[in-house]
Amino acid sequence: MTPMAATERTCRVTRNKSAVDDARRFAELAVAYCDVDCRQAVAMVVSEFAENLVKYSAKDDQVYAGTISILREGGVVRIRAKNAVASPDEGRRVQEAITRIATSPSITELYRSRLQELFKNPQLPRAQLGLLRIAFEGGFRLSCSFEASVLEITAERACLTQ
Amino acid sequence: MAVPVPGPLKVDSLLVELPRADQLVMTGSVANPAIQAQLARYLESVHAHVADKRLSAFAVDVKGLTFVNSSAIRVFVDWISRAQGAGYKLVFHVDRSITWHRLSFSVLKSLAPSHVEVTEASATGAA
Repeated sequence: MTPMAATERTCRVTRNKSAVDDARRFAELAVAYCDVDCRQAVAMVVSEFAENLVKYSAKDDQVYAGTISILREGGVVRIRAKNAVASPDEGRRVQEAITRIATSPSITELYRSRLQELFKNPQLPRAQLGLLRIAFEGGFRLSCSFEASVLEITAERACLTQ
Repeated sequence: MAVPVPGPLKVDSLLVELPRADQLVMTGSVANPAIQAQLARYLESVHAHVADKRLSAFAVDVKGLTFVNSSAIRVFVDWISRAQGAGYKLVFHVDRSITWHRLSFSVLKSLAPSHVEVTEASATGAA
């Protein structure tokens, strides 16, 4: 018998007030058969991605902010967030942040250092903790591409079934 | 004039209340920016209460707080900063079986070690 190919599930993230909660429920269903660590981690990543899509994606599409896809295959879960960015600078800023996280020798130190910055400068307008938290708490490897105003962030990690 | 003890905050699944003047209990989740904004305002009023009462320590039971977004982590950072400024200690009671408790509170403690204490319990055992 040929094993069934894994199916990637995709959720379109709306601009509604309930968008983050809806995306989180989508995540919980998509990995309901996985172990508790993986379920918690995937729900956290999808919430952070959804919040970022709603906050920072280009506002050209009044209804949808972007998409989030989840694929579990071969013991690895892969989550992709895709959206049009408001400006090229925004796309480059995210690319740089992900490169910094992906190449850091210690994600714990990077996370601690960001919390220290926020602690010392409570007036900083943006926390910018979401991507860091995905790597630090969730244990995900982050990568991204940015082409023709479209940003795609990918988060991957091992994920066991129950 | 004395600062009144804040009443409970209930927003969606989030419930925050003070069963005693020196203890806060948080349950549910902070899953979107609107809830996080309300929580931030509420914790400012709790801080005003703690400072007004000149408490030396204040317990925060987050064992039932199963999920928060990253903006809510910043709310805790800001509270620790205020606690340090006012000279009281925040004692967080966490559940180590919840990943974000286990990982983030140890880093939060490192921000102001003399003003933050973290005590761990698990779903199956006491602290």
